[in-house]
Amino acid sequence: MKKVLASLLAGVMVLSLAACGGSGSGSTTAAAAGTTAAATKAAAAATTAAAAAATTKAAAAATTAAAASSGQKYKIFLISMDQMDQHWVNMDKGCQKAVQELGNVDYKWTAPDVKDDAKQIECINNAVAGGANAILLAANGPDADVAALKDAQSAGVTIVYVDSPANLPAVGTFATDNKAAGKTAGEQLLKALQAAGTNEGKIGIINTNAATTSTVDRESGFRSAFDGSKFTILETQYCEGDAAKAKDIATNYISQGCVGIFGTNEGSTVGTGNAIKEDGSGKVIGVGFDKSDTILGLVKDGSLLCTMAQNPDVMGYDGIKAAVDALTGKNKGDGKTVDTGVTVLDKSKVQ
Amino acid sequence: MEKKTQASPFKRMMAIRGMGQVITAAIGLIILMIAFSILNSSFFGGRNIGNLLRQIAPTLITGIGQSFVLITGNIDLSIGSVVGMSCMLSATMMTKGVDPLAAVIITLICGLAVGIINGELVARFKLPPFIATLGTMTIARGIAQIANNNYNTDSIGEGAGATAFRNFFYYAKILGLYNTIWIAAVIWLVFNFILSRTRTGRHVYAIGSNIDAAKLSGVNIVSTTTFVYLVSAFCSTVVGMIICATSGMGTMDAGNSYEMYAVAASVIGGVSTLGGQGILLGTVMGAAIWGVLQNGLQFAGAPVAIRNIVIGIIVVLSVLMDVILRGRKPHYQPEKADNGPSGEKAK
Repeated sequence: MKKVLASLLAGVMVLSLAACGGSGSGSTTAAAAGTTAAATKAAAAATTAAAAAATTKAAAAATTAAAASSGQKYKIFLISMDQMDQHWVNMDKGCQKAVQELGNVDYKWTAPDVKDDAKQIECINNAVAGGANAILLAANGPDADVAALKDAQSAGVTIVYVDSPANLPAVGTFATDNKAAGKTAGEQLLKALQAAGTNEGKIGIINTNAATTSTVDRESGFRSAFDGSKFTILETQYCEGDAAKAKDIATNYISQGCVGIFGTNEGSTVGTGNAIKEDGSGKVIGVGFDKSDTILGLVKDGSLLCTMAQNPDVMGYDGIKAAVDALTGKNKGDGKTVDTGVTVLDKSKVQ
Repeated sequence: MEKKTQASPFKRMMAIRGMGQVITAAIGLIILMIAFSILNSSFFGGRNIGNLLRQIAPTLITGIGQSFVLITGNIDLSIGSVVGMSCMLSATMMTKGVDPLAAVIITLICGLAVGIINGELVARFKLPPFIATLGTMTIARGIAQIANNNYNTDSIGEGAGATAFRNFFYYAKILGLYNTIWIAAVIWLVFNFILSRTRTGRHVYAIGSNIDAAKLSGVNIVSTTTFVYLVSAFCSTVVGMIICATSGMGTMDAGNSYEMYAVAASVIGGVSTLGGQGILLGTVMGAAIWGVLQNGLQFAGAPVAIRNIVIGIIVVLSVLMDVILRGRKPHYQPEKADNGPSGEKAK
């Protein structure tokens, strides 16, 4: 399928050459190089009865034809924080979907084995050395990767941020507005507590670590929702995404008398839900982030009030599309952040 | 509050090699517990003590495994990854409809396989233990990732089998104590008996004290070393299932860094990283101190930076004490000067 598409696009290139006679030295030389390849491919593909189909396909592929006019594929790397968190796995899926639709992307997903700044910098450098045209990056932290990214940009690599940006202007950022999402979570919790007649008490937060921007923003958004209320938020505890450790932390919060608990990512939320379920008193309300089969089960049986479901697949999909647009020159991007949004999944939405 | 002393007379107890560090650790533990309950009175509530014991159990179990390996003068870095592998394998099987008992048995076999590989690599092929277990560590973590095709597993569900599994390993209580605590206690009793009262246990100490002398004395180095790595793998596999029961699902990064916590628990309790020294009672103290620190610092509302510094200082102090004391004679010498020529107590 890919080969047929490539041959057809190469055939379109030949046609467009004949029609317009090339538009610049760069594309002419590239076109010339592609002609020889196209000639052989066109000869092979010419027999397929798709002459008429080629023109329709050409029209549809017009946007990407310019990109593939030199027969070139864009090498795009997705560099996430690790390769185990479901969030990145779903983002990779979104990227693959876009890659399949576009057809002119040589896509690779790479990440360190654990969340680590130095390792992520290495991944960026390896991607640049490996001939990347664009990098989709979920930065561990806002500043750690900046130097490596500057090197990448001066080597001509296009940068798009997904999930977590770094402090360096790039094509754009496709991420959840974590502060807003955290605030939503806080408001949901506050509303539920007040509905249950509780107007003061202790609230506990379980975060991943103090360095990941996304979860830190969620926490600060959450805290802002409680400004001016009579609730005290205890010192945040960190679980490094470990669901079992999060359960211990949440159980300790409950022993300390917390009335509400917030988990800032999947592992923390699973632990929170399990601890509230074990407590069973109904006096503790938990809200969380991300969705997984276990979290949905915990929302369904009432252990969690609700969870903020992100859209990592949308981040990946839009990120790839934006990278290709920037590479083809169609839209260089304005550096702005596109909020890929969260959905509040509570019991009514979970079936 | 219970003070962990043996019933036997003080002198006989002090003559057990390694008991000095255990006593120091026990005193440290008591001081910590007092300090934390002053900082937050709910720390000592019955509810928290039960939770605390349950939180200590995984560290204790992996600590026992690591202690066995450390006493032979080796190290096992694959503990954390075997925990993760065991968690993922058992969860994946159960979500695919495998009966929990069968899943447990299959997971145990896989975990023990890692132990055998470790033992053979270190003892038969003479790889440095650091390198060998580093290799199995990464392989086991990789297996944890592909077990469910690079996804965390779904929930193991609410079915009768899954609920029984979760209750057995984590949620149920027997006689008022959580099952996890009983599991840890049974494991400790069995392996302490093996280490202190059987020939295999003596061989473990022998290898760690002087491997050449041990070999010349007829100790089978390969089978004893494989044995200790099997113990370690067994303990890690059990903890992996406890983690799976806790969360009700398998997570690919479960057990991250657990091997280091196991080393910390062992070392605080007096097990020497140089081999040949230490008793499992010390591992109990070490795991207890570790768990009390984690739990108590949360109750005290300490920011995470303080917690990391405190824990690090305590571990370093323990190792320092161990290294300094190793320069002295192994038997405890009381202060009284006129107790015989070398001050050694005859039993």
